[in-house]
Amino acid sequence: MEVLRTKDLHIGYKDKAILPPINVSLDEGNLIALIGPNGAGKSTLFKTLTAHIKPISGSIELLGKELFEYSSKEKAMLIGLVLTERPDDMFLKVYDVVASGRCPYTNFFGKIEKEDENIIQESLEIVGINHLKDRYFNTLSDGEKQKVMIAKTLAQNTPIIFMDEPTAFIDYPSKIELFSLMKMLTKERNKTIIFSSHDLELLLRYTDDIWMISKGKELVSAKKDDLLESGILKEYFNLKEDIKI
Amino acid sequence: MSRNKINISILIAIIFLGILLFFLNLFVGSVTIPFADLFNVFFGSEGNQTVSTIVFDYRLPQAVTALFAGAALSVAGLLMQTLFRNPLADPSMLGISSGAGLGVAITILLTGILGASALSTMGIWSNLGVSLAAFVGATLVLMLILGFSSRVRNMTTLIIIGLMVSYLAGSLTDIMKFFSMKEDIHAFVIWGMGSFSAVGTSKLMFFSTSIVIGLFASLLMSKNLNVILLGDLYAENLGVNVKRNNLFIILVSGYLTAIVTAYCGPIAFLGLAIPHLTRFIFKTSDHRILVPVVMLIGMVVSLLCNLVARMPGFEGNLPINAVTAFIGAPIVIWVILRKR
Repeated sequence: MEVLRTKDLHIGYKDKAILPPINVSLDEGNLIALIGPNGAGKSTLFKTLTAHIKPISGSIELLGKELFEYSSKEKAMLIGLVLTERPDDMFLKVYDVVASGRCPYTNFFGKIEKEDENIIQESLEIVGINHLKDRYFNTLSDGEKQKVMIAKTLAQNTPIIFMDEPTAFIDYPSKIELFSLMKMLTKERNKTIIFSSHDLELLLRYTDDIWMISKGKELVSAKKDDLLESGILKEYFNLKEDIKI
Repeated sequence: MSRNKINISILIAIIFLGILLFFLNLFVGSVTIPFADLFNVFFGSEGNQTVSTIVFDYRLPQAVTALFAGAALSVAGLLMQTLFRNPLADPSMLGISSGAGLGVAITILLTGILGASALSTMGIWSNLGVSLAAFVGATLVLMLILGFSSRVRNMTTLIIIGLMVSYLAGSLTDIMKFFSMKEDIHAFVIWGMGSFSAVGTSKLMFFSTSIVIGLFASLLMSKNLNVILLGDLYAENLGVNVKRNNLFIILVSGYLTAIVTAYCGPIAFLGLAIPHLTRFIFKTSDHRILVPVVMLIGMVVSLLCNLVARMPGFEGNLPINAVTAFIGAPIVIWVILRKR
């Protein structure tokens, strides 16, 4: 099933498009990597697709409906977000961070009902951080913090999840753990995950599709296997060497 | 013992301490009232007239003012600290109190020119005028700070801007004072030292009601305050209208600060110290707990400050600001050192 489709989407700030029109679509249960050099527009694309900034022109259809026709609460129930910036508060507990994912569902006072509690518990267990739930967020390692933010997004219970460089600043074993977690979420929980990353060798092992962007170039979406065989990766980024996995 | 049980025990202890301090506020002062007399004034039939006057006309309104002002300033500080995600944010540091002072100074000058009379002679209108002026001044500075905050990402920059705005407002205030009537300048200086005694019986109802409205509004904000701790983008993604929410936080915080500043003068340090102390004691950042408990601890510490300022020997003249800083500054240092 198609979850997202863009039509002639121009992204950028102040009417200045930074990329040629984008026409892509996204199927349910896929893990998609967005790659490209710094400054190519990855963040801008993410912010546009998650409705934080408006597109200059063109449309974004989310589950068959224009993105900007959804209310902010509805959007919060459809799109989850994992960012590189992290909460920084002395006494913020892991449980509370994950519980904040229930925000679109809870009442005016943010009361956590039994059902919310079950979902929070399940999210902690899926990500494998149940043992951390009473810890203060600030005392965790970078990899653990990233898992907490993913658990928060799972508690948010959205079909689509965007992750901005989820594997940056994280040690190698944690990177592998994160990638397999993301893969598991798409295959077993039917989530659609789009993430940006510079860990090319690693991400090629886990993703289904790859979106490439480069300054001024059209966004190219390709199946991972096609990508390696056709040499398009080498050509797109003007690389001197072949990429082999 | 679980964290919850510890917290509840601490909470009960704080409530008892508050009640104790409240009664101490009633019978300690330049005239020490024996407990028997105090008891008679409240519950007995043959109350001593002098004692009754001291208690009902002076000490009770002062204690109630301290109670509400303490709660208001502490919550205003908590809101600022959460909004800016900065432990040093405090209504006075962002120039809000100076803005209130400037508003008061302008009003005093204008009534002097337009009404050709000293503001202090205008009875009830003077109180309303001063409160309104302080509120408008504080809100304008808040808006200015908010405008800057959307431009600068770095919170240190914003605090420097706040300090500069504060100096600017202070400088303008001095210029206003230069052109004001002597009677009012004296009133302004007294206002600037801070005191819980200026509200008095007649205005107590208005003061308390205004504060309670602000406190109630802040209690309603707990959910969004918790979410914005994650950061603006996360909050927005979770369906919070961050811009509107920030504006509301600043409005409530500015409103509370403005009312207290208008009646009690710019009282420093409670807004900075109490949220720190509360977070440190209760080890939580959940605003559903923090907001009410910050109010409570604000009340208790404020009563303590008022009691110290009123100790026999000071003759009720010790500015409340001297006491709040004396008690507040060590609290902040202690908490920050314990954190590391």
